[in-house]
Amino acid sequence: MQPGRWLERRALALLAVATSAVLAVLFYYPVAIVFADAGGVASFVDVFADEFLVREILGFTAYQAALSTLASVALGLPGAYVLSRYEFPGRRTVRSLTILPFVMPSILVVIGFVAFFGEQGLLNDLLGLAGLEVGSLLYNLPAIIVAHAFYNAPLVARVTNAAWESVDAREVETARSLGAGRFRAFVDVLAPQLLPAVLTGALLTFIFTFMSFPIVLELGGFEYATVEVWIYGLVRDLDYAEAATLAVLETGLSLALTYAYLRYEARQASASRAARPPARKRFLPDDVTTGAALERVGVGAYGLVVAVVFGGPIVSTVVESVTGPSGFTLRYYAFLVERQATGAAFQTKPGVAVWNSLAFGVGTLLVALPMGVVVAALADRARSRWGRAVEALAMAPFAVSGLMVGLGMLRGLVFGVPLPVVGRVRVGGALAIVAAHAVAAYPFVVRSVGPMLGTVDRRTVESARALGATRFRALLDVELPLVAAGVVAGAAFAFAISIGEFDSTVILATGSTSYTMPVAVERYLGNRTLGPATAMGTVLLVVTAVSFVVVDRLGGRWEYG
Amino acid sequence: MRRRTFLTAGSTALAGLAGCIGAGGSDGTETTTSTTSTANTTAQAELSGTLNVATYSSFVDAPSSSPGKWVKRQFEKEYPKATLQWQTPDNEVTHFLQRKAQGLDVTTDVYVGLNVDHLITIDEKLGDRKLFVPMADSLSNYGHVKDDLTFDPDGRAIPYDTGYISLVYDGTTVDDPGTFDALAGEYADDLIVENAQQAATGRAFLLWTVHEYGPDGYLDYWQRMTDNGVKVLGSWDAAYTAYSNGERPIVVSYSTDRVYAHREEGVNMDKHRIGFPNGQGYANPEGMAKFADAKNPKLADAFLDFMLSKKVQSKIPTLNVQFPATDWAEPGEEFRKYAKEPDQPVTYSYDDLKGNVEEWVEQWARQVAR
Repeated sequence: MQPGRWLERRALALLAVATSAVLAVLFYYPVAIVFADAGGVASFVDVFADEFLVREILGFTAYQAALSTLASVALGLPGAYVLSRYEFPGRRTVRSLTILPFVMPSILVVIGFVAFFGEQGLLNDLLGLAGLEVGSLLYNLPAIIVAHAFYNAPLVARVTNAAWESVDAREVETARSLGAGRFRAFVDVLAPQLLPAVLTGALLTFIFTFMSFPIVLELGGFEYATVEVWIYGLVRDLDYAEAATLAVLETGLSLALTYAYLRYEARQASASRAARPPARKRFLPDDVTTGAALERVGVGAYGLVVAVVFGGPIVSTVVESVTGPSGFTLRYYAFLVERQATGAAFQTKPGVAVWNSLAFGVGTLLVALPMGVVVAALADRARSRWGRAVEALAMAPFAVSGLMVGLGMLRGLVFGVPLPVVGRVRVGGALAIVAAHAVAAYPFVVRSVGPMLGTVDRRTVESARALGATRFRALLDVELPLVAAGVVAGAAFAFAISIGEFDSTVILATGSTSYTMPVAVERYLGNRTLGPATAMGTVLLVVTAVSFVVVDRLGGRWEYG
Repeated sequence: MRRRTFLTAGSTALAGLAGCIGAGGSDGTETTTSTTSTANTTAQAELSGTLNVATYSSFVDAPSSSPGKWVKRQFEKEYPKATLQWQTPDNEVTHFLQRKAQGLDVTTDVYVGLNVDHLITIDEKLGDRKLFVPMADSLSNYGHVKDDLTFDPDGRAIPYDTGYISLVYDGTTVDDPGTFDALAGEYADDLIVENAQQAATGRAFLLWTVHEYGPDGYLDYWQRMTDNGVKVLGSWDAAYTAYSNGERPIVVSYSTDRVYAHREEGVNMDKHRIGFPNGQGYANPEGMAKFADAKNPKLADAFLDFMLSKKVQSKIPTLNVQFPATDWAEPGEEFRKYAKEPDQPVTYSYDDLKGNVEEWVEQWARQVAR
């Protein structure tokens, strides 16, 4: 047998082994180190006996996460609809940019929100022109929820859009020709194809907002403390036992939810179809009916909401970077240039940060994409209860507190792993950062590809296999093209996660020049004005926006073949 | 704890930084400065090698006037055979505490940026394993350190500067609250405070209220605060951002605020007034210490003495915008004019805090988060 053929036969198994190895070293081992600090059953009983922790902390955390999830879905779904069903100039660019909020460091979001929704914010200025005055909209629960929707509605929109791009329109047409009304056809035919994606988006949002930390305190206030805030306080006092107990609870809850969802999803996946999305509508309809007109008005109103919730804070951040106490200024950008030119070796240089971010982003994409596709493909085949459990475990990287992962990486990787014979093996620098980013990013690839893979007609794969294709070849040539939209969305997420990642990066970059753009934003904050940090933030936004468009264009070339 | 919340540097001192670069570039000779005695120079010529000094990142990396660059250049000028290398681990001093706790060596020589909280945590977690060594007595410049700033009974942490926590208020919209009583009363809904679990300013302010009302009374005081609408935000950055954007006119910050404010062109100084409730300010001295495992202990000693020298102490107020910790510093006109010192500095000592601080903070958090 030719070596190439041998390799191809075992490609899936080899990739699975490599994926497991990366996960074991960069995720499970570090997390196990910190979770081992959690006490026995008694410490968990203590937590549950503590009324304050259960009601005020755990209870409130779940409550705000549920509200945030509802808001994100409500804000994200219309977006998915518009992006999937309408054709307009710049549609693909807009789709590429949807994930932009996802990469914004929390302090930039705080600055953007205060500068837009605040007492003296842009929104109040604009409303003032119309004679309205609403005052500050911040420091309450709605502010937290809107900020969470700012981060997560794009996620819901993007995941749902990917599913919508691969529905089979012929089924809708069949239903219509059999006498089903538009609404009936949507509910019975289209909705079941979209629901897994919508629920995936909701699940991810819930877990994310359940573990939210800086935003809740900085746009809400300490009375809105979450579990993660409490864990931070404990870690700060080096009270690792109680911190680990809470973190284990937090992770257990997220994983249980993921598992329950995956079982549900497995029961739903049944359709057999090809990706053949319906033709898109144009903004100005050919024949004007009342329904069409009403729909356009709705889309316009939604556009206004998007402009306020997403456009407002982002534009305000950029405005902040060119505004000094006496008006327009470019000196914060001059600072970036000067730091690049004359900064000392131990100082943070913007150019280095941009370069690192891009390199890590591409590296992450190249590692996380195969990892995610392999896990999705394997999980898709194992339809048993255990298969779901393994899949839920594979999703663990976003179900563990970022603070705890960081702590584990410091103690397990930066300080070194004690091994027999060779001694302490330290993991750090650029390669470790890429691997850590890939670990954080691959669940998004799994979640973007998995639900869609479940709906691919098994017979197409079986035909390919009967004709002599290896399992790997069938995946590559038959299945993946059918779920291309999911793969491209997964790639975009992987890139975005890498650009936005902070907790692991700062720890693994210790003592090296492997810092990234969000780290640079953070370091430029040591100051009474927000100028340098917002200028660096604007650089981050521009660089990421351009990269998203490029990633999507390259992906689109393959997607639309 | 994010140390950038603790120490921050001025905003528009780009010009000042450029000035320093110019001065350094034109002075490449190895002649020692006139303030150094000839007796020192032989030792200075002999001390060699690399000195690894760890600190928090804004000490070397803040966008304007961080002292790191200047300190390195001056130190290497005085010790021509030595190289100073800055390290800024993300977890700051906790990084080394964790290494030690795991039984690993610490290869760094000196840490700059310790406070009394850190010492208490270190002593509670490490017990007999020594992270730092006592050294106050062996430093020749230690006699110049102000007595009321020393915070380590064992003489490990040597104070090199201090800040005073105070109120910063916008004089165009509110008056100086004047007293703690008024602060929790009519001014509470004008006030932004930082989270005591997270930000050094927030923790200092909490300890200040414990100092004022006692361990038995501070929670009642905070109950009044929350009933009357005080806002507790996460980090110093978030709090100060809210304050500068007019969300609320009073924020807990540092009494050096006006030094930064006046450096920014076009700032209305009335918006940056300093308030000392009951005439007090809470002192937060910063210290440096030598690691017990220091690879280059002699050079480390020299560095600590260097940091206490008149030259460095006189420059700290400009570059780190903190009060010098010694009696011989000449902070300069700008600092004298804009930095405010409270009539009555208060602070808790190591012994007062040990065994108490964690409990005080936790009780506070449980009450406020409710």
